[in-house]
Amino acid sequence: MSYPIDISGVRKTFGTTVALDGLDLQVSAGQVHGFLGPNGSGKSTTIRLLLGLLRADAGRLSLLGGDPWTDAPMLHRRLAYVPGDVDLWPNLTGGEAIDLLGRARGGIDPARRDELIARFELDPTKKGRSYSKGNRQKVALVAALASDAELLLLDEPTSGLDPLMERQFTEVIRGRHQQGRTVLLSSHILSEVETLCDHVSIIKGGRVVESGTLADLRHLTRTQVRAEVRSPVPAELRGLPGLHDVVIDTVDTGSRIACDVDDTAMSPFLARLAELGVVSLVSTPPTLEELFLRHYDSSEPPGTSLPGREASAR
Amino acid sequence: MTFAGFPLLARLAVRRNWIFWTIWIAALWLTTVATVAAYERVVPPGANVQVTMAALGGNPTMRAMLGPPFDLLTAGGFTMWRVGTFVATAAAAMAALGVIRATRGEEEDGRIELLRAGAIGRHAPLAAGVAVASAACLVLGGLIAVVMSRTAPPASGAVATGLGIALVGFVFVGVGAVAAQLTESARSARGLTMSALGAAYLLRAVADGSSTDSPLRELNWISPLEWAALARPYAAERWWVLALPLVLGLVLVGVAFVLEDRRDHGAGLRPTRPGPATAAPSLASARGLAMRLQRSTLIGWTVGIVVFGLTMGSLSDAFGTMLTDTPELAEMFRRMGGGAQVLRDAFYTAMLGILVVVLAMLGVSLLGRLRREEEVGHAEALLATAISRREFALSHLVPALVAPAVLALVAGGALAVPDALRGGGVDVVVQTAGAGLALVPGIWLVVGVAMLLHGWAPRWVGLGWALVGWSLFIVWIGEILNLPSWLLTLTPFATLPRMPAEAMAWTPVLLETALAVVFVIVGLVGYRRRDIG
Repeated sequence: MSYPIDISGVRKTFGTTVALDGLDLQVSAGQVHGFLGPNGSGKSTTIRLLLGLLRADAGRLSLLGGDPWTDAPMLHRRLAYVPGDVDLWPNLTGGEAIDLLGRARGGIDPARRDELIARFELDPTKKGRSYSKGNRQKVALVAALASDAELLLLDEPTSGLDPLMERQFTEVIRGRHQQGRTVLLSSHILSEVETLCDHVSIIKGGRVVESGTLADLRHLTRTQVRAEVRSPVPAELRGLPGLHDVVIDTVDTGSRIACDVDDTAMSPFLARLAELGVVSLVSTPPTLEELFLRHYDSSEPPGTSLPGREASAR
Repeated sequence: MTFAGFPLLARLAVRRNWIFWTIWIAALWLTTVATVAAYERVVPPGANVQVTMAALGGNPTMRAMLGPPFDLLTAGGFTMWRVGTFVATAAAAMAALGVIRATRGEEEDGRIELLRAGAIGRHAPLAAGVAVASAACLVLGGLIAVVMSRTAPPASGAVATGLGIALVGFVFVGVGAVAAQLTESARSARGLTMSALGAAYLLRAVADGSSTDSPLRELNWISPLEWAALARPYAAERWWVLALPLVLGLVLVGVAFVLEDRRDHGAGLRPTRPGPATAAPSLASARGLAMRLQRSTLIGWTVGIVVFGLTMGSLSDAFGTMLTDTPELAEMFRRMGGGAQVLRDAFYTAMLGILVVVLAMLGVSLLGRLRREEEVGHAEALLATAISRREFALSHLVPALVAPAVLALVAGGALAVPDALRGGGVDVVVQTAGAGLALVPGIWLVVGVAMLLHGWAPRWVGLGWALVGWSLFIVWIGEILNLPSWLLTLTPFATLPRMPAEAMAWTPVLLETALAVVFVIVGLVGYRRRDIG
């Protein structure tokens, strides 16, 4: 299995600031890989290292089988990049900027360029300085997507786009996914990541703290269960391993129980529950957002509350 | 209420740009003060002061460069003539650049929009920019007046000198403020203002350099840069002349406010027209882009240099006769032009000596685009494509090396064209063009140093400007200051052959070229090794 992106143990400091502190990240061919993390966690630094704009202090980076630092121009023919904060040449039109960036990458497909311009409803005759933020973003998107790059590096590519345009973006990326292209998508928009990405890595403080398929990651957190049972709930149920935040209420018809259940404890817990005579059961799977918030919340050290982390995270 | 928030913005303008103002004011103040101190040395005890000064002041090259002399027999009068108009011109550049930086520059970068969303009036940013720049001119003039009233009495002359310089600066506060309303980009506004400054300087140079009987002489009243000198500090002051810059400055500032009322925030006076939907075939590489970005700059400079060369060259006719009439003058001129037998050659040599320093500014400015493109994130977008770092650096480095070199050749040729047309022959043109070319290694050395900074110390690329400023300082007044000779030769231009007055000397030319090549290569190596962005 080839890894278009293969990073291990990468460290990067700016003066006294440690931006990346032993980062590991692998993206396999054909993956749409979500790259999540709070502001300042090192997402953009990682992408800029992959582009050969920055030089790693330590560790190993491999991009499309080459070294991003030494082979940059050659490798860049095979990838396209969209920055999150696009600044255009004030006196060049959007169309000119698209052509320039496309040609500089080694060629642009005029038909696809025109199709994308129409799809994103971009006016290519306006000067760079008169575009709004969203429109500048569209220029960068069209320039990147009009090429047939095998790898797309997207750093918060939809920032500033309206929801309709976001949907257009999603469709285009899906199309690329079906064609077997590889995508690294750094984003804060969880719905976007949930719809597009099959794999997700969460970065925090310059390290990847979680990585895996969305399904894998869901297993890392607890499912919330609320149930109503006929019999009173025995006290020792509280002590069942893998149960957290157990709340038990006694009601006329029996008892109510609400708790968070670890993935591994689900079967024994449901067996015990069934013995008590279940009247109703609501089980809420963890959302990406919960997963995300858990990691973003700086008061909680990364991973400590998550069982099975060592097994899944590389 | 359109001025609401003015005090806040004025404080902000000072805080953001105090280094800019401090460096400018200190440099110009020191230039003036140093010249006063040098007066005693220029006129050695026992020398025939009258003759020396008559020779100096009658010299048309000096007149064209410096302005009309009124009384050279006092330290103050001499200083006013020797550096007064120069400092006034530099103060004008400082004032205009400062206003544009604080108004259009901030507006273009989107920061004023942020402020205007607060309780800030429409005109407050412009008012703050104008006020701070005017205050800076006044501080410069005040400092000059204070020191000169002690070192070069009487005080009235010192005050007239300081006030004259401050008010010429104030005129260009107005010019900068108007230009900032006209264009959408600070770059264009600066180009517009510097063209106006160049035109005003050229106009007064032609007027002052013309022969005594020429009607052109009176044209110096049109150039605002001359008004400080025309107020005759230290030579029976004509105070009313100082009303001219005051009134013109006020009118221009008023016009700027009226124009600001008629435009949208972020816009110039003309609405932006749509451009082509697809790029021309040439826009396909770093080089194509650099050419496109620098096109208007290069055209503007070429036109400016050709006009300047031809116009100044046309003066060579007028002073030929004057020099033969005045032997003291001829002797003095011969010395200052570098020892030429032919006085006309000395004139070409003096002009080229200044022009190449100015062309070095073009080189530093063209290369400076490399850093600017990095700061705003364009370098990142380009280097994420198949463009290599070397290609990208070269796209700005090559024009910075080639354009000033070509223009040095053109300037040299253009200077001699009027003479050739009067029957001097093509040989003169070829000779002066060659003389211009012989000074090019100095430009390359400056650009080489700048490239070294771009590669290894990108935060310090501004030091390239310091080197140009130092060279200009030495060219302008280096000779009259009692500086150690090693310091005088410590500019990239000092050791190069000053043709046509001197003979060609290959050693310094080849050495400096080699050194420049080394700097450029080491700079490029650094650029390939460092972090971008």
